[in-house]
Amino acid sequence: MSFIDKIKLFLNSFDENEFFKINRMRPPGAVEEKLFMELCVRCSKCIEICPYRVIKRSNLTKNFEVGTPYIYAEEKGCRLCMNCTTVCPTGALDKDVTYFRDTRIGVAKVDDTICLNHLLYNQEEAGIADGTMAVCNQCFNSCPLKFDAIYLEDMILPRITDKCTGCGICTESCPTTPKKAINILPNGMADRDEAGYIQSLKRKGLR
Amino acid sequence: MQKIRKISQIFFLLLIVVIPILNLMEIYFFNGSFISLTVGNLAISDPLAVFQAIFLSHKIVPLMLISILIPILIVIFFGRVWCSYACPYFLMTELIDKIKNKLNIKNIQNKNINTNRQNIIRYGVLLTGFIIIGILGVPLLYLISPPSVISTQMIMIIKHLRFTSEVIILLSILIVEIFFIYRFACRYLCPTGTLLSLFQFKRFGLKVKHIGSCSECNACIKECPLMLDPKIDGDSKQCNNCGICVDSCKDNLKQKTLFFKMK
Repeated sequence: MSFIDKIKLFLNSFDENEFFKINRMRPPGAVEEKLFMELCVRCSKCIEICPYRVIKRSNLTKNFEVGTPYIYAEEKGCRLCMNCTTVCPTGALDKDVTYFRDTRIGVAKVDDTICLNHLLYNQEEAGIADGTMAVCNQCFNSCPLKFDAIYLEDMILPRITDKCTGCGICTESCPTTPKKAINILPNGMADRDEAGYIQSLKRKGLR
Repeated sequence: MQKIRKISQIFFLLLIVVIPILNLMEIYFFNGSFISLTVGNLAISDPLAVFQAIFLSHKIVPLMLISILIPILIVIFFGRVWCSYACPYFLMTELIDKIKNKLNIKNIQNKNINTNRQNIIRYGVLLTGFIIIGILGVPLLYLISPPSVISTQMIMIIKHLRFTSEVIILLSILIVEIFFIYRFACRYLCPTGTLLSLFQFKRFGLKVKHIGSCSECNACIKECPLMLDPKIDGDSKQCNNCGICVDSCKDNLKQKTLFFKMK
């Protein structure tokens, strides 16, 4: 990677510049994005009660999400202690979600082109394995729901099932740099076109 | 009287520092900021925040209504004591006044101001705020409510050692306060205080009352932080029952002329 590419990457890596990004989720139990933005009164209760300092406060962006809580999976994944759902005063975080397997804050996705296990598997398939690569398995080992949410196909390829809560611990522990090989697509904000309700309203011509 | 008020103000100031520290030590008895506070199992919310959420989402969670009950009952019975006895921003403005007095800088006080005009501007700001958040669809009125910003930023400083961008708004309010308009936020801007004063009723609650003849020294008018005339405006919606006028009245030593009374 050239020097200019590194600068570009650094300049584009500020999480708070964009309202949508992969690896950026709402806290567990969050209602759908439009309702969440209407209900969240920015009281910081969930930020304060989070024992792992996972939930962070968003800055002012063009979509007025200033003060809303976010989890940045690349820095730290959610530990699913479910403290935050119990304190929300307006129901922006659903009080009924108390069991950590019920949360769906996103879904993990493995990038085949940079995942170390995939690269090793491809090398061995092609018969050019030279012994310089090793099995990684970080995402599988760190997952709180291993064998349920994530399993290893052929004992090597990580695969995600629909039981994934989207906590982001796998993203946190993924060793590939500069891009993570496993990323969280946040719930309701799966891709850029669907992200952020003000943007989606604009596209529908409602605003 | 003023001593009790100062102690109460400092207690609430300590509260916004101590609560995040307690939460860091994983003691969750107290939790939250001045937008919404949990004490044990009791939830207390800022009515402004809850009304915004209801106004935007058309959805009422029972907890919302229960949590605004205590603040509203306090306002109905004792007036807007939140502003005078608890708000950290009010304490800050009093501190600014004291420093200004020490430095002999005169406050730009226009004593001939009309109380009704103040109220009209206040309610105008609140109404425009609600119209704007209605268009945007995001409850953003907390941005111009200094106590909410101060308490939430305090959590950020203690928990994450950084500010978020609300601080810029707080600083600009402070600059206007110090250099241009006397008690700008409390008199014109703060939506929390304005919304609370909707629950101050003319014929009920704790009011400043003036009886009989007085020596017309006008000390009470000079002292009033919200530029009211306590002799007339005792039951005004602007009055927050701070009691500075009652303490400054010299006629009170001889007989009761300016005092608090439950109506």
